[in-house]
Amino acid sequence: MLLITRFAATTVGEVKESWWMYALAIFVALFILAGSIYFMYSAYRQSKKLNMSKDQVRKAVVSSISFSVLPSIGIFIGVITMSGLLGIPLPWIRLSVVGALHYELMAASVASTGITLATMTIENFVTIAFVMTISIMWGGLFALFFFKKYQIKVINKATSTDGKGFGKILFDAFFIGMICAYIGDAVAKIIKYEVRVIEDGAYVLDLEGNYVTENKATFVPIIVMISAMGAMAFFDWLVRKKNIKWLENFSLALSMIFGMAVAVFLGMGGIY
Amino acid sequence: MKAPKTYNDILHRNGRIFLALGLSVMLLVPFTIWAITGQMPDSAKLLEGFIALSILQLPGGIVEVATYGPMLGTSATYLAFVTGNLSNLKIPCAMNARQLCNTEIGTPENEVVSTLAVSASTITTVLIMGFGVVMLIPLSPLLNAPVLQPAFNWVVSALFGALGYKYFRGNLKLVIAPLAVMVIIGLLAPGFVVSTLSIAIIIGAVVSVIAAKIMFDKKWL
Repeated sequence: MLLITRFAATTVGEVKESWWMYALAIFVALFILAGSIYFMYSAYRQSKKLNMSKDQVRKAVVSSISFSVLPSIGIFIGVITMSGLLGIPLPWIRLSVVGALHYELMAASVASTGITLATMTIENFVTIAFVMTISIMWGGLFALFFFKKYQIKVINKATSTDGKGFGKILFDAFFIGMICAYIGDAVAKIIKYEVRVIEDGAYVLDLEGNYVTENKATFVPIIVMISAMGAMAFFDWLVRKKNIKWLENFSLALSMIFGMAVAVFLGMGGIY
Repeated sequence: MKAPKTYNDILHRNGRIFLALGLSVMLLVPFTIWAITGQMPDSAKLLEGFIALSILQLPGGIVEVATYGPMLGTSATYLAFVTGNLSNLKIPCAMNARQLCNTEIGTPENEVVSTLAVSASTITTVLIMGFGVVMLIPLSPLLNAPVLQPAFNWVVSALFGALGYKYFRGNLKLVIAPLAVMVIIGLLAPGFVVSTLSIAIIIGAVVSVIAAKIMFDKKWL
């Protein structure tokens, strides 16, 4: 009770950067780390039972690590973006678990309409933390209660090889559709790209409570996509025709770096 | 007598335990802040925010499990629904590993590959976030440097461009219909595609699967 009384008297600035918020964030990070290591070890043991080659296991792990570095830096930049309003620990926690920067910013806006860094209270901070957490749990709850049944009834039938054999194509087609959606998104941004204005780590609202936006229509994402695609084609050629096998696990990461470098060069030329 | 548990049953049991613990850990955060500060959340704002966001997140969450679950496999699905970043990281990561390892979705080998991929990706993200926080002061000016902003603004475009080549090569017939439809939608309704990309992804995927099924039935593939 003494502890509660003592903290109740502090400011929101002290709460959001308090040692116990950092302790919570470290606890969440360690939980996720421990779970991932457990699943990885279980899969590794299973690979041995299935007589899978060490090369396959290495490929899966090394390519995934090299692939994840750059997007993870992008996610961390989201922590910095949100830290203006919410401090470091809460965005660190939120972007370590299910969620994404735009969702978290939206949650912060709807949980405390019109608040700013100067006017935020501890009550606002607690409300934001609750809204961010509970509103995104639906997917997890659905997986918890229904994924097993869904897998048995739907997925196993779709992937069975005793049918007409469409199962093999189904998921390639699905993923290709997903990639095409991102291409459609890049094309759309050439025409219209309304960006919500962020100030001090939160979306800015006008007097009527609507998001303040700016149209930043741009060619950059489609150029970046095509550049990364071209780089991937080049690396693929090196792997297959020039037999540079070690490149296989890094070609995706290197292609991404090339695409991102093109974005930087365009930016240096004033094209954003 | 009860039938012995299959390997998949064990994966579901362990995955559910992890997911239940994960959701509890997530909930622990706001409740701990409440307990320590002694400040209750504003119930009206909480309800308003919860309803407003759930209108999108409830159907979105169900569709994500239904569509991404099959691609990820059992363990990776449970792991990914705790750790997030599905469409922009975990799914491409699992699909890339799958292609490199040459495994088929629904096989025990792919279950292993997918779990390794999503675990490795998650560990990478956690370590980078931890490193970033520890090194925040020296890193902030670098990561916030205006010259580098475009690179991280468009990291997902670079990711799907590179991955697009890998999947488009050898599957050109599968690409035509969804690419045409998504480019047309992008041109005609840019605001819709940009603001509701998750719905656009589902449209692209459904168009692609339907077109693939028609071509498959007509033996064009």
